Amino acid sequence: MSAIVLGAGHLIAVVAIAPLLNGVIRSVKARFQQRKGPPLLQNYFDLAKWLGRREQLAQSTSYVHVLAPFGVLAASLAASLFVPMFGDNTPLTSSGDLLVLLGLFALARALLAMGGMDSGGAFGQMGSSREMAVSSLVEPVLLISLVTLAVVPGTTRLGEIVAFGDSDPAKFLSVGWALAAAAFAVVLVAETGRIPVDNPDTHLELTMIHEGMLIEYSGRSLAMMHLAHMVKQVLLIVLFANVFLPFGLTGDHTVANYALIVPLIAAKVVMVAVGLAVAESSFAKMRLFQLPDLLGAAAFVAMLGAAVTVLYR
Amino acid sequence: MVFHVERHGAAVVIHLDDPWVNQALKLALLLLVAAPLTVLFPFTRRIKLIFWVVVAASGLALAASISIVISGDLIEFRLWSPSPYAELLVSLDATGAFFAAIVAGVSIAAAVFGSSYAHHSALDDAVLPLFVLSMLLVVAAGNIFAFLFAWEAMALTSFVLVIGDGTPRPRRQAAIIYLVMTHVSSVFVVAAFFVLANAAGSTSFVDMAASPLEGQTGSIAFLCALLGFGTKAGLMPLHIWLPRAHPVAPSHVSALMSAAMVKVGLYGLIRVSFSMLAPGEVWWALLLIGVGSVSAVMGVLYALMEHEVKRILAFSTVENVGIIAIALGTSLTFRAQAAPSLAAAALVAGLVHAANHAWFKTLLFLAAGSVQNATHTLSLDKLGGLAKQMPVTGAAVLVGSLAIAALPPFNGFVGEWMLMRSLIDLVANEGSTSGLAGVAALAALALTGGLAAACFVRFFGIAFLGLPRSEAASHAVESAAPMYGTLALLALGCVVTGVGGPWLARGLGAISAELTGASGLTGQGDEVLVLSSGASVSPLIIAGVLLLLAPMPWLLARIFWGANHRDRGAIWTTGVVHRPTMQYSAASFAKPIRLFFGRLLLPERKIEVHYHGASPLPRLVSYTGRVPALFEERLFEPARVAAIWMASRVRLLQAGSVQFYLLYMMAALLVLVLGVAR
Repeated sequence: MSAIVLGAGHLIAVVAIAPLLNGVIRSVKARFQQRKGPPLLQNYFDLAKWLGRREQLAQSTSYVHVLAPFGVLAASLAASLFVPMFGDNTPLTSSGDLLVLLGLFALARALLAMGGMDSGGAFGQMGSSREMAVSSLVEPVLLISLVTLAVVPGTTRLGEIVAFGDSDPAKFLSVGWALAAAAFAVVLVAETGRIPVDNPDTHLELTMIHEGMLIEYSGRSLAMMHLAHMVKQVLLIVLFANVFLPFGLTGDHTVANYALIVPLIAAKVVMVAVGLAVAESSFAKMRLFQLPDLLGAAAFVAMLGAAVTVLYR
Repeated sequence: MVFHVERHGAAVVIHLDDPWVNQALKLALLLLVAAPLTVLFPFTRRIKLIFWVVVAASGLALAASISIVISGDLIEFRLWSPSPYAELLVSLDATGAFFAAIVAGVSIAAAVFGSSYAHHSALDDAVLPLFVLSMLLVVAAGNIFAFLFAWEAMALTSFVLVIGDGTPRPRRQAAIIYLVMTHVSSVFVVAAFFVLANAAGSTSFVDMAASPLEGQTGSIAFLCALLGFGTKAGLMPLHIWLPRAHPVAPSHVSALMSAAMVKVGLYGLIRVSFSMLAPGEVWWALLLIGVGSVSAVMGVLYALMEHEVKRILAFSTVENVGIIAIALGTSLTFRAQAAPSLAAAALVAGLVHAANHAWFKTLLFLAAGSVQNATHTLSLDKLGGLAKQMPVTGAAVLVGSLAIAALPPFNGFVGEWMLMRSLIDLVANEGSTSGLAGVAALAALALTGGLAAACFVRFFGIAFLGLPRSEAASHAVESAAPMYGTLALLALGCVVTGVGGPWLARGLGAISAELTGASGLTGQGDEVLVLSSGASVSPLIIAGVLLLLAPMPWLLARIFWGANHRDRGAIWTTGVVHRPTMQYSAASFAKPIRLFFGRLLLPERKIEVHYHGASPLPRLVSYTGRVPALFEERLFEPARVAAIWMASRVRLLQAGSVQFYLLYMMAALLVLVLGVAR
């Protein structure tokens, strides 16, 4: 019963917060660019607008285009059930771990890329091609950096890793942890589709990846795709805030305790989000074919972190 | 429980009082032997009786094998014994039965599909049951003679199926390369068994398992087995026959070779390294992990560079065999470190992935046949938009693509989850070398996963989505009912074995007990798969959550915003008329990956600009690009040249005059006499 309540809490929280957090990042970026930027709640208005619009489908599309948004959003939301959002427990503890989380992200990505290819337009196919290429480099870094944290506690359940880190910070904060966190920070930028890997603000330019795949989407399908992307973003940020910095998260599952924990988590999440915005504002977009340098370096750092953890445990 | 039946007597006899498993197995073998006769009669040929005989025989074999896998019994009978030293002993234990089940299952699908697929000659049809029979006999062999007899029969029958009538020329060449590689494989297999039998003093597998080999001779046996069985399984760099033989064979034969025969090679590797070799050196296991990682990463990279559907699938088989090899290597590492329950978990991971690979690879190869029937081409750049014209094939390939990319909750995920979890245990376990190997293998596996997803998004997206890229593709229609029915059932199987993964994995307990002496799983009989290390996963719950969440947005939007309205309009292409040639091609989709991994793939490209006279405007710009097959060009080609050079030197001996030959005999005699006298 409590698992269902917690699960519902995760789903509602992630859907409710995702647009706001994206708005925060946008506003911070706007400040850096000496602009006022859209209102903090603009994403909610956009989603509501798209949900009420008629949908325009290209003639060449098949059912894949129509069904993909449902799959993408469902996979992204299901992923939220394996991320420790409020403290050290997840709703589906025995049903999955960090490998399932990465698997669900991969499922969402594959369906997104297929949806992007369906219309037969070169923009969508370009976006799909680049997304799959970039993610193939990102995936090992994500996995190895998370596995580095899993080695010492000997579990791949993210909630248990959080509990271990909170109870024994001396063992948790090792050189391996630092390297893993650094590598994860780099791929956080790539996975959320931000500069220098992708540019969330461009439309119809040859630099885009994620927006390219959405080019033939409109109406409700577009709203679902955008929401899915924002959900994934908030999950990755929470992952960084809670799993890599798992401090002050454990305690009884009482209302009073949650009243203490949740503001702390919110503060950490906003800090990571602002950090993401700062990082995005401080770099220029990289050429696509230079990305292996950046992501390869991240992979190297992640492998080094894991190796250090293995050698000096 | 051991059933000893027919230890004496010249031929197989079915006794009515035998257990049904024995009867079913014997009947299956007899049916397969007799099946080729049906092509002699016009009527039975017309109704394609031979395929239905194969289906019936495989069904019997499947039922018997599944029963043995679950019960852990051993079935043993003598099939034929022409002389005391040449005894065709059938001895099927749980391990063999698991692979027999894979062979039988794949051949059911292949035979049903084959019954209505294309036109093949009577010879092709007649050889098919013999091929299935030989694969079943390899995994059921109880001694070296039976094994090698069946192994060679498997090589020759599959060669006949690959070469067909020998036209066109590329088919003949591919078949001959396959024949050469398969015999290279046989040489090493024979060598491995020679070493093992010599040490055990017996050619019976039971005796050889009773005195497992270790030390330096063990290392030699392991290396020979790795080379021999690795060639058959398609491990890099011995994979070169797969991408040649698969495209030229008919699709149902490709499915049998890729989903079943390759596993028979893995069976040999498991049989030798787990039951005939003692838990010896860690480096054997690490070597296997290394070879597996290279096969997985390079296999999927080459698959991404290919433009032909069946070549893509062939390289993807190399990738998946690599993944299974990583699992076997991980299991052997734990075995050498005396951690039997972890070894059992890794072994089960490999077996589960082997079974699941059989599902989706059969599906994809048969779907390739369906596409080929409908469009007469397998080139990705001539396909497109098939999801609308061939809805069942399209949906089946979509499921197969998601499954082969190891995405939850489809069946490819379960095995990879278990394997990754085992590798994490390897990293967390004692031992720095094996820990570092585990990190490297995990990275390779994650990279493989990402690239496999890219590969199959490309495969499905280019062939089935978008607009048709050729006239033939735009007129494609769905295949006949037996073909799309098979595909639909296989796709359903990919989902069922995906969510049923925990039951499948627990069903292999008898095998892990047989080979590692432990069980890698601790769960109850419910939907959660629990490894002995405590890790757990439940594909059924993940699937349930996905199914629950997927319609939610539709429901909520309908309640709050009303019904959705969809209009069909033109695609946005910056204002020009949209043409199929404006789409991404197979090559352009793979371009980022080709550049990202340029140092591994070493792609070549040549752009030539031709001018006409003094005009500054180019008349013709030609572009050719290719990704070289590095192992073939840098390893096999020099080997071929060296072999031919050596053969030409040896030919000098054959001078053609009798005196010389007499001289050789004289010299040989002298050497022998002196050697013995000393």
